[in-house]
Amino acid sequence: MSTATAVMRKPWVRWAVIAIVVVLAIVLPLVLPEFANTTLARIGVFAVAVLGLNVVMGYTGQVSLGQIFFLGLGAYVTAYGVQQDWNIVLVFVLACLIPAVVGLLVALAAARLGGLAIAMVTIALPIVGVPLAKRLSEFTGGSQGLSARFTAAPEWTGLYDDQWQLYIVLLIAGISFLLTRNLVRGKYGRAFAIVKGNEAVAGSMGISPYRYKVLAFTVASLLGGVSGFLYMVVIQYTSPETLSFGHSITLLASMVIGGAGSILGSLLGGAYYVLTPQLTNLIDPGLTAVLQGAILLIVLFVLPGGLVSLPRLFRRRRGREQGGGAAAAKAAASATAVPSTSAPDGADVTTHPPTESEERRQDT
Amino acid sequence: MITHRTKMRAVSVVAGLGIVALLATGCARGGDSGSPTESGGAAAASPGITDDTITLGITTPLSGATAGPGTCTVAGITAYFGAKNADGGVTFGDGKTRKVEIKALDDAYDPQKAAANFDQLKDSVFAMTAGLGTPTNRAWREAAIADEVPQALIMTGDPIFSDQKQSPWSLGFVPIYQNEGEAFGKLLASSPDEHKVAILSQNDDYGQGYVEGFKKGIEGADNIQVVKELTYEATDTNVDAQLTELAGSGADVFFNAMSITPLVISSLQKTQELGWLPSWFLPSNTSSPSAILEPGGATAFPGVYTVAFAQSAAAPTFADSEDGKAFLAGLKEYANYPDPPAFPHCVWSYQVGATLDQVFQKMTEPTRADFMKELRSIQDYVAPLMLDGSSVDTTEDGQPAVSTVQVQKYNGKGYAPAQNWG
Repeated sequence: MSTATAVMRKPWVRWAVIAIVVVLAIVLPLVLPEFANTTLARIGVFAVAVLGLNVVMGYTGQVSLGQIFFLGLGAYVTAYGVQQDWNIVLVFVLACLIPAVVGLLVALAAARLGGLAIAMVTIALPIVGVPLAKRLSEFTGGSQGLSARFTAAPEWTGLYDDQWQLYIVLLIAGISFLLTRNLVRGKYGRAFAIVKGNEAVAGSMGISPYRYKVLAFTVASLLGGVSGFLYMVVIQYTSPETLSFGHSITLLASMVIGGAGSILGSLLGGAYYVLTPQLTNLIDPGLTAVLQGAILLIVLFVLPGGLVSLPRLFRRRRGREQGGGAAAAKAAASATAVPSTSAPDGADVTTHPPTESEERRQDT
Repeated sequence: MITHRTKMRAVSVVAGLGIVALLATGCARGGDSGSPTESGGAAAASPGITDDTITLGITTPLSGATAGPGTCTVAGITAYFGAKNADGGVTFGDGKTRKVEIKALDDAYDPQKAAANFDQLKDSVFAMTAGLGTPTNRAWREAAIADEVPQALIMTGDPIFSDQKQSPWSLGFVPIYQNEGEAFGKLLASSPDEHKVAILSQNDDYGQGYVEGFKKGIEGADNIQVVKELTYEATDTNVDAQLTELAGSGADVFFNAMSITPLVISSLQKTQELGWLPSWFLPSNTSSPSAILEPGGATAFPGVYTVAFAQSAAAPTFADSEDGKAFLAGLKEYANYPDPPAFPHCVWSYQVGATLDQVFQKMTEPTRADFMKELRSIQDYVAPLMLDGSSVDTTEDGQPAVSTVQVQKYNGKGYAPAQNWG
């Protein structure tokens, strides 16, 4: 196991991994069947939404139950902009900015309230959002919704629509993930972690919990808007059902299942959000709700740290079998810290793997 | 520190892998997309149909708040074709006898999932059908047009699906909201007496559709006066304020275009508390005798009217009629639905099956295009379990397959046809 880590640490290995990922991202859309492409694109859409939720909940420890509202807002802005024939780049910018501004305004008020009060304020968003979307039918198309098909592949590419859509999603989601990764691993990420750990300590260190909570919430809303834009790229239709409160809870469950406070976990969360309904439909379409509940429970019992902690579960097993050795002990130490990451409030972020690898990166 | 050399190496690795992969994929998609165009002869079969089977796809809510009606939309058609398959199958217009298979997926009333289900099914089914819900059907309406997949006889009162220009590959089955409102309006207008009408409607396309139809029905009738018109939001949990205001209008007819079951029950109770006892109109989907009128104490009112085109499975004579027997037996045997259904959607879905059967019998080519052509050619077909006076007519642009509804009056147990007011 120590050799495996050593290999992973070599810079060229890391570059090779990145290279393979990039090449796969370019090539896979060309080879995969259409349904696989659209499924991957959907995963990308919801991975970005879960990523936003992770910034505010996983990294900063503030409970947000309103993420779907920002996704829906981004989707509506996109649909409206496309219907008005606005330039698509402008539409994208607005689909990011408007949810971000709304998120900022909500956060300015909500972050003053402590703890669960923020959660209550964020519950209100989708609850208000659905009737609002129905009432403002001039902009939203009322309960019949809006559809906007603007992502047909341009002639010169020679691509199929699903391939073109997947490329758009890969590009935008990829950039979102990269920027968020940099954000949470830099000084802001450390500030988020301290705010999450103990607000009083954060204050004594000159880090304003209020300001960082607002920042995290705004970033989450912005990412929600991005995922809303991508939603329209892939699904091309939005209605008040899009911002139904139940989806917000599913997003939250996806984040916990993927792995709270983890970039890779957000991706896995997006995959969970999209794939479980498809998987349960495959088993028995009449029992989807029950099966989804069962899957949720099983994953949380077996992997309280989320799907992202799966490799560490294996490592711990192997560490136990081999016994002794400084490396194994260290692995065990990090593995025992896993369950604490599942608790959204008291989790100790400093033992979390991304921070570990960050230290490693700084070493190199 | 990451050196310049490693960067160079990384770049070369990317480039190398990229070239290899691109070469490998050169003909990946081309292969399977090329074949249909090559064999594009006149009668090349569409996906989902062979010489002895045809597969239909359904995306409908099987979990969540609308799971009850949603499950019915699958059960009815499954029961119909289950019995047909047991008899050997359906004889198509091209002389071949095919068994009908049904693939149903749950969308939990989420448009996103409905669109995903469509993507999943479209290459393996011949046509999509019977699915319930306006947003969930709208989510893939345009995709169905782009992919030229039929979206036939779906369960939504949204008129867009019956507009051939806007939806060349779609057709709704159930009457649109306007049809229902208009039928009641016409009956009321035929009354010899003068009537004052109070209107409460859901503030969306549903409520507006009913009110629009009703106003068309009473157009030019001097004996009908709309004295008060209010709306509520679909998310409201009570409408007491509106009811109190309407009660003050002195209306003797209450047109209530409401789609939410608990709200209808509480409205029935509240108006009694207020001592306002008008005649009611309720939409077809919120007028169930056992689920709504009984708990609401509807016998207190001089009359509760609704419209219907299909027999109610709860009616006492239903289980004794020949069609009713076959329907209930089919549900039990083929659709895993042992009890008489509480939702009308089971009967509707059964009728969708019967209508598709008619279309299949006329189809001379195993193609989706021919299916759509024949789908729009059914006229005066009285499907099993239809009420007298209603029939399937798919030839009129802008109208769903069933657009003629019968006004019915509550008699304390079930509904009886109401030819005249009073």
